[in-house]
Amino acid sequence: MVADVAASVAVARPRIRIQGAVKSFSGRVVVDVENLVLGDRPIEGLIGPNGAGKTTLMRMVMHSTSLDRGTISFLPGDGSEVALSTLPAHRLAGLGVVKSNQVIMDFAELTVWDSLLLAVAESRYEQPHRIFSEGIVFEQHEAEIRQHLDYFGFTDPTLFAMSAGEKKLLDIVRCLLLKPRFLLLDEPTAGLPADLTEKVMAVIRDLAAGGTSVVVVEHDLNVIWNLCDEVLFMAEGSVILRGAPATIRENRTVVEKYLGEGHV
Amino acid sequence: MNLDWLDAFLITGLFEVVMVIGLGLLLHLQLGLARIANFGVVGFWGIGMYAFGVLYVRVDWPFADPWQFLVCAAFATVVAGLAGLLVGWLIADLDTDGVLVGTLGFATAVQLLATTEDDLTGGARGMGGLGFPYDIGRVKENELLWLVITAVVVAAILFYAWRVHRSPYGRLLIAVGGNEPLTRSLGKSTFRAKLWLFTVTSAAMGLLGAMNGVMVRYLDIGNIGVSVTLAAMVGLVLGGTARVWGAVVGVILTVGLFDIVVQSYLPLPQDWYTQAIPVLREAAFGLTLMVVLLFRPLGLLGDMRRDELMRRLHGR
Repeated sequence: MVADVAASVAVARPRIRIQGAVKSFSGRVVVDVENLVLGDRPIEGLIGPNGAGKTTLMRMVMHSTSLDRGTISFLPGDGSEVALSTLPAHRLAGLGVVKSNQVIMDFAELTVWDSLLLAVAESRYEQPHRIFSEGIVFEQHEAEIRQHLDYFGFTDPTLFAMSAGEKKLLDIVRCLLLKPRFLLLDEPTAGLPADLTEKVMAVIRDLAAGGTSVVVVEHDLNVIWNLCDEVLFMAEGSVILRGAPATIRENRTVVEKYLGEGHV
Repeated sequence: MNLDWLDAFLITGLFEVVMVIGLGLLLHLQLGLARIANFGVVGFWGIGMYAFGVLYVRVDWPFADPWQFLVCAAFATVVAGLAGLLVGWLIADLDTDGVLVGTLGFATAVQLLATTEDDLTGGARGMGGLGFPYDIGRVKENELLWLVITAVVVAAILFYAWRVHRSPYGRLLIAVGGNEPLTRSLGKSTFRAKLWLFTVTSAAMGLLGAMNGVMVRYLDIGNIGVSVTLAAMVGLVLGGTARVWGAVVGVILTVGLFDIVVQSYLPLPQDWYTQAIPVLREAAFGLTLMVVLLFRPLGLLGDMRRDELMRRLHGR
């Protein structure tokens, strides 16, 4: 009975299917994934040594990096399947496929408030003739945005995000405001102090409990072991192992290629 | 009305200032917010002016002014908007160099077409037959009224630009200009945003072109040279590309100073007016552009202050 429930939950969860996806840079194959489904479990961690292809794979999902060949599809959980690799990049957020960035990305001329209002504003309010709609957008989303701002403790959201940590958090909050169904987080806690790392982890757990599938790429392995239901180990462009955190942690190959003897 | 005290040069000089402020404001939306470096401003302005002229002079309309003017100006605005749509579609995904070459090429194509389509435009000889859509007396009075009407249109453009800064649309344009991939990742079609911007601003440039046609009353290809783009660009850069008032301040300090103060009030030799002054004007504007970019790249008014604006709009 329990197994049946778990199986039905797993089927309903949004997933991403990657088939025959290859990416090379200057003749060097960086990603070569034959068949991979992400999102079978609520929170999955993607680990591997530098240059394993983790970030490139995430970028391929989001169209930030084009595929040499292969397909990437989104399975929303209702039985349908959408080929992400044929859609324009901006359509992905509308489907609920959202990614935070490994390298800090921000809008230099937009304040924290601006940046978050940009994320939530519907396109019908962003037309050349809608020059009086700022009040409507602000009114509709103020409470939701303030909730995030208060939770993460932004000092003054009318200012620009100054520190690397604040920019990182802003990136995460922008993702949250997009109401993700499949969330890819690339090193979400890099550069954050411990208390904020805990807060980010708590938010990720809440999201996953609400039905969002989350994939976390992270070098802080404490985050991976404490947060993830399943861990995928990637090396030389391919996922070579996947399993429960405890299993991956003790795997000989992972220890030799990545963790080192002292970590076990 | 007795306007003997009013210098005819002053009216045309002020008209030039108002016109370039209008173009500078539209360029501000493109360059200052969305970072689209349109070096073909005169192309859209010129296509509006010539479309208006051809329709006004060559078509036998069943109605007279002011309806004839209104219909022709509306057509000219649409033609310039469609040109903006086409050029915007071609350049939307290009980098800065591509946009520069594409828009400059478009402006050159418009000038070539105006030259070669002799039957329609009068070619190098030019085309007369344009006039004010009203007659309130002497030429000076008609010109003064047209200056006021044009100033009202430019004030409306200023108000629009001011409101854009305070709208989600303006925020989207700033985001597109600041970080396009990040904007796309938030579900925004940056291509569509740029296309709309280019269409709307080009249409408005076309309307200003049509209004200029009424003022000059004789169209010749010398009207649509690169100096128009240069004047709008220099004024905007001097005032500050990112600020709404940048174009106003910058154009007054460049075009206003040169076309009104230098040309009208400095005792210059008469023969300078035909040859030397236009060259001096472009040299002075070019020099101003270089000096501003070297020593004050953000212009006199400086950077966009979104933090102050957000506090004013939404409090802390």
